[in-house]
Amino acid sequence: MSGVNLTSQLLINGLQIGAVYVVFALGLTLIFGVMRIINFAHGEFFTLAGLSIATAVPALAAASGWANWICYLLCFVLVMAGMAIFGGVMFKLVFERFARDPVGALIVSLGLSMLLQSLFGLGFGTAPRKVPALLPGITVLAGGRISNDRLIVFVVAVALTAGLGLLLKRTRLGMALRAVAEDREAALLQGIDDRRTMLAGFMIGGLLAAIAGGLIAPTTVLTPIIGADYLTKAFIIIILGGAGSVVGAILGGFVVGFIESFAGFFFDSTFALMLLLALVSLVLLVRPQGLMGHATR
Amino acid sequence: MKRLCLLAISVAVLLLPFGARADVIRLGLSGPMSGAGASWGLLAEWVAKQAADDINRSGGVKIGDQTYTFEVEALDNKYTASEGAKVGQALINRDGVRYIVFALGMAPVRALQSLSEKSGAILFTTGAGKSIKGPQFPFTFTQLNTPFERYLPLFSFVSKENPQAKSVVVVDPNDATGTDAAAVSRRDWARVGIKVLDANFYERGTTEFAPLVTRIVADNPDIVDFSEMPPSDTGLILAGLQDQGWKGVAVWSAGTSAADLIQSAGSASNGVYMALAGDFSGAGATPVQRRLDAGAVVAMGQHMNAISLSAWDATMAIRAAMVKAQSVDPDKIRQALPGLTFESSYGPSGFGGTEEYGSPQEMLLPIIISQIKDGKTVERARILPAELQNRKG
Repeated sequence: MSGVNLTSQLLINGLQIGAVYVVFALGLTLIFGVMRIINFAHGEFFTLAGLSIATAVPALAAASGWANWICYLLCFVLVMAGMAIFGGVMFKLVFERFARDPVGALIVSLGLSMLLQSLFGLGFGTAPRKVPALLPGITVLAGGRISNDRLIVFVVAVALTAGLGLLLKRTRLGMALRAVAEDREAALLQGIDDRRTMLAGFMIGGLLAAIAGGLIAPTTVLTPIIGADYLTKAFIIIILGGAGSVVGAILGGFVVGFIESFAGFFFDSTFALMLLLALVSLVLLVRPQGLMGHATR
Repeated sequence: MKRLCLLAISVAVLLLPFGARADVIRLGLSGPMSGAGASWGLLAEWVAKQAADDINRSGGVKIGDQTYTFEVEALDNKYTASEGAKVGQALINRDGVRYIVFALGMAPVRALQSLSEKSGAILFTTGAGKSIKGPQFPFTFTQLNTPFERYLPLFSFVSKENPQAKSVVVVDPNDATGTDAAAVSRRDWARVGIKVLDANFYERGTTEFAPLVTRIVADNPDIVDFSEMPPSDTGLILAGLQDQGWKGVAVWSAGTSAADLIQSAGSASNGVYMALAGDFSGAGATPVQRRLDAGAVVAMGQHMNAISLSAWDATMAIRAAMVKAQSVDPDKIRQALPGLTFESSYGPSGFGGTEEYGSPQEMLLPIIISQIKDGKTVERARILPAELQNRKG
């Protein structure tokens, strides 16, 4: 096949698909860990960031004449700053009062998701948008081929995941996040401000979704409903890996990526999704807490 | 007496606006206004409004002493059967629409058709399946060349220009539009002597095509046929094929414009053959097409395409049938349409297709074969259907 090593190509496909899923799902699992809620509007953080970048980059490139990658970098930084603020506002306005109220949070986040999707349609239009290629060309890795833009997405996603791991392990904020996720009462007794910790957790979680959306903007087309597709995958990932588990999200993300790559190649994308759902059912039956999750006492 | 005068004045005032204004006929559209096919649906809405404005400005439709004007209502069918059914309910049952001038997507069209046929509403559709046409669906008409008309001339053209090409892989969405089209693709590639290696299907809304791209590259076909895929999905696969090193001929029968494809495929779009992407701004276009194309660029930021343009032709066909039948009764209009010759955006047109569908429900339009070259749509050939040629003499 055009001089490409099939196994390498399928592995590369799986890794690059899985890497974006990991970043997206990490945000969802982090929010679940500290707030014990499932944020159905998580996909809209992804969509808003992606659409903002896809709208701003061509406009800035046309106005300034700068290279696409310079415009993309500038827009990426500005949009992420905006998304951090957006996350904080959403937490204060909506999610703070539903912390540790899974049913209330489910209803309100579902409504928020629909509202935001409609607003995105009005604001950005419903036609698909895409960021032009940043670094045209391909890289050959072990006989498999990957576009430079997708390679950048993969590298940044891996670096981000490692960075999050370090933040959670080595910093005071990370330890506070883990403590609140592990046992809120014990964390309060240790003097940890759980409201501030939840705010930080929610902002980081939302920002991770936004970064995933911003990263993928040069490699796919974005519509106001794209976040829903990623949210479905993220649910599969956190059920597989274990809700609230960072390691589980990483493991689950790559499992989903590899299943999509291999089953999509040998069968088709619909079969891959069916396989994932069958796997989720099996995990729920055999190990309901997920592969890396802890059983609830 | 005073009371009687007041009553008479009140009744006269109430009746005044109704007596003074022309009656309004609502034209419905059911198309994707969001997602991958949105560029077609949104532009079709704009086109239908232009056609309605044109007719209204020229005095509307005169039936005896009565003058009718057109008003457009477009709803998003999201390319799905469930949304198509909702759109049908809203247009036909809620708003009383009896003329649908544009309906895109086989699954939503089938859902809509079940209501339109029952309610006696005229349905113009781009839907391609034989299963929605024929004497058992007397109110349904096709407003666009379907795979049955387009594929064979396009595939013959491509195979003559690329005699080295011997094999093809077909890609289509896994819904009714895609599966129906893939069957015609298989048949017509075989007719021109090209071997079909595989037909791949995918779920609409898919955002990651890398596994499918690898599957196509592994087959190593000389041609990839993107059949009835929407622009953004086609573009993503084309870009992926370029990344994974495939070099061959790309054919996109539903291809409507270079701009849509370039946005998602970049340089990988160069050389793609299309069958619905006329150069509506060029010398080969009619004055109406050039005017609509220029307007679409200003108002919608995109060039005209054959799918969206079909809303104009359907509106003009309905107007002509109303004038001919001297009626706005959909039953009389559907009887008038098959024998009609009307002025479409392409020039004189009519309805045919009895041989293929069993009744004359197919709008007869030229098949435009074009190719993307250096970011532009270059028209390569306009082929008139034999039926239209015979009518023109």
